[in-house]
Parts: sequence; structure tokens; C-alpha cells
Amino acid sequence: MALPDYNTIEEGYELPSLTKPPIEQVQLIKYAGASGDFNQIHTVPAYAKEAGLDGTITHGMLMMGILGQMISSWAGIKAVKKYSVSFKSISKPGDILIARGSVKKKYENEEGRFIDCKVHVEDKDGDIKISGKATIKFD
Amino acid sequence: MLDINAQGKEFPEFKFEIERCKIKELCMAIGDDNPIFYDKKIAIKEGYTDTPAPLTFPTVINFWGYPEIWDRMIEIGVDVKRLLHASEEYEYFEPLYPGDIITGNVSVESVRSGGVMDVATFKSTYKRDGKVVLIARMKIVVMLQGE
Repeated sequence: MALPDYNTIEEGYELPSLTKPPIEQVQLIKYAGASGDFNQIHTVPAYAKEAGLDGTITHGMLMMGILGQMISSWAGIKAVKKYSVSFKSISKPGDILIARGSVKKKYENEEGRFIDCKVHVEDKDGDIKISGKATIKFD
Repeated sequence: MLDINAQGKEFPEFKFEIERCKIKELCMAIGDDNPIFYDKKIAIKEGYTDTPAPLTFPTVINFWGYPEIWDRMIEIGVDVKRLLHASEEYEYFEPLYPGDIITGNVSVESVRSGGVMDVATFKSTYKRDGKVVLIARMKIVVMLQGE
């Protein structure tokens, strides 16, 4: 759970990846209640079909949460200074999502020592669902 | 069609109390079993003052603390049925903990109306005891219907 020594990290260093169990419909129902996002395209198959989808889709913010899990499992909460993602493609119940990241840039300034990581979530076919960046500060 | 004049608009301030159970509930839904989110003793051992809020907790603050955002979006011309979430960005200054009373201010940071889509960025600034603890930016895209 502790970050490695700053000096041992090089650009290209891979963060420990995280493979999740398949997304389940009940997980989307739990996430709706937890987050307060009750858009029914995530929870009610008939509603999702009316909206032109094959069925319900995973909350984008749940995928950002999964990617956040990978980041904070490695870096904790305090060290994370910035975290952003773009939503690229949809995910459905049954999908096995994998969170990955690598160090893109290492730098120091008057505020401290930092790394910028490229992070993303993909499915088991390698289709990118979300991608983004996390900035982590070292003591 | 988005109201271009909405740029810079600030919505009324709201308050949200961070509850311990809401932190657990979000982590359980994500499937994040890191004990720092569930066990205060372990969190303290890891250097926190209590079980910290996970990285995407601001979404809980906005949806539960300011559900009126949907009506405010409609007022500035967002067709919420055709809304897509394009990106989400967080800047963290201090960890958030159970019992924190957070003051939220949401504003329309930018509005752009293109040929096929409208793009808007909403900025949320969260303060605790008058100090900024977190800034969130949500970019949305609304596809315009072709004639």
C-alpha cells in the first residue's frame, strides 16, 4: 500500500493493475443508490432499450471509481493531487474491466516531487472505456 | 440549444454533510475493499484522521447535495435526454472526512455551441470552514438533432 521510493520510479513504470469481477446489474443498482445518479439507462433494461441501447450500460462514474480504486490502492488518498478522465466507450453488465496505469512524467518544483500517470480502463478485448491522468505528490 | 449567455453563471450555494456510511456505500458499490475506507483505526494507522472519502466521492456530493443541477441545466438549454458525460476532472487540496460540512458552489465555466454539438463545462468548488478543499470540473456534450 505504500508508494515505492521516488528514486526507483522511472518514466514508463507500471502501476499495479486491477482486474475486476464482471460488472453485474445489481452492482449498477447499488452504484445508482450510492452515487445518487438514478438515470434509468443504467438500471432499467426497458428504459435503456427505449433510449436506443441494447440494454443497460455501466455508469461512467463507476468506471472512474474503479480506476480511482487502482490509483488509491497504490498511492493512498492524500498523495493524489489531480485525477481526470475522458469517457471513451460504453460498458455493459458482464464486462470484465481492467484498470491500468503507467508513469508518464516525473518532475520536481518548488511545491515538491511529482509524477504524472497515464491511466485507463479497458475490457478484456483491450477496448478502452475511459482514459485519463493522475498527478501524485511524493513526500 | 445552449444559452451562450449562461457562461459565468453561478448557481445558489448548497451544503452537504459527509456521512461515514455514504463513504462505505460508494466504496462497496465500486467494489473497493481498501480498509482505510471502512475502518477508522486502520485509516488512522495509515496517516488519516478518519476514513477518507474515495477519489470519486465528489459525484456523491453533487448528486445528493445538489439534485437541482438537472433543473438548472434544463434552464440554460441543456437537453438532458441527449446529454453525454465527456470528461470529469478533480483537483484535491485536502482529504474529505466523515462529519465534514462541505459548502458547494457550481458555476458554468464555459459554453460552446458548435455545428453538431453543444459543449459545456460546469465547475464545482467545495469548501470546508471557508477553505477550498476540492475543485471538480464536469464537461458535458449535447448532440444536436439534425434537421
